Amino acid sequence: MSEMDSRGTEIDGMLRRSLGGPVPRLSPEFERRLSRELRRRSEPSSRYERILLVGYCAFSVATSVLVMRGHGLGWGLTATMTLGPLAMVEAARRMRRLRGV
Amino acid sequence: MPAAEALESDAGLVARAQGGDQQAFAELFRRYSDRVFRLALSILGQGFAAEAEEVAQEVFLKVHHALESFRGEAEVGSWIYRITFNQAVNLKARARYQRPHVDEAALSHAATAEPGPDAQLETARRDRTLRDCIQTLPEVYQAALRLYYWLGASVGEAAELLGVPENTAKSYLHRARQLLDGMLKERGYSNV
Repeated sequence: MSEMDSRGTEIDGMLRRSLGGPVPRLSPEFERRLSRELRRRSEPSSRYERILLVGYCAFSVATSVLVMRGHGLGWGLTATMTLGPLAMVEAARRMRRLRGV
Repeated sequence: MPAAEALESDAGLVARAQGGDQQAFAELFRRYSDRVFRLALSILGQGFAAEAEEVAQEVFLKVHHALESFRGEAEVGSWIYRITFNQAVNLKARARYQRPHVDEAALSHAATAEPGPDAQLETARRDRTLRDCIQTLPEVYQAALRLYYWLGASVGEAAELLGVPENTAKSYLHRARQLLDGMLKERGYSNV
């Protein structure tokens, strides 16, 4: 056996000894936990949460429009700067879904 | 399990799951959960079983979410393993996982518990150095080593989980051993 082969065998043995050990397994309740999490994430948001979110968005847009118009910006620019980021968030969300990850 | 269900292809299951069949998704989960967990373990390393389980959970949540946009351009398994690999590597990078610290006192204690304390201590030190060296290898090499030497996967299984041909997995192992040999020599372990 050449020196290189013998060295390879020694490293092999060392790795077996060093990395050897008990192999963990998925806990028995993993499937149940996953099902619970899946159900939680697929539940539509409650009516109260949706009203709150829509209210917040409407308030933010109205405030932004008032401030920008107050500084003399035109309607076109105001609309772009207010709605542009929302459109980008939605576009990014769709792209992630299309990429499948 | 009925024979028809046992024979159903992954693509068939995905098609049914895309139509909202939760049983089909459950079957996909049963087919892949262990392998996803093992792949996550191989990337995160020993002592991180809980984190590997978190990764597995996140992977199946992502798969469930992205299933409707899956077009079958890749094998279902490869797709799931790719998500797992990325998820585990990202978690590892974020948390900068290191092996659990073992101090000199613990090593000495382990050494004196068995006959030949000097030799035992030396072996423990060398093994610790080896594990340190493994941490510095590229992720795919580390994963290949842990799959093969720790989790008992065959080269073929390691190749499947890492999404590479079998010869490539073999070369990962070979190259990893070569690199480790060099690193051990640099640290003064010329005779392993």
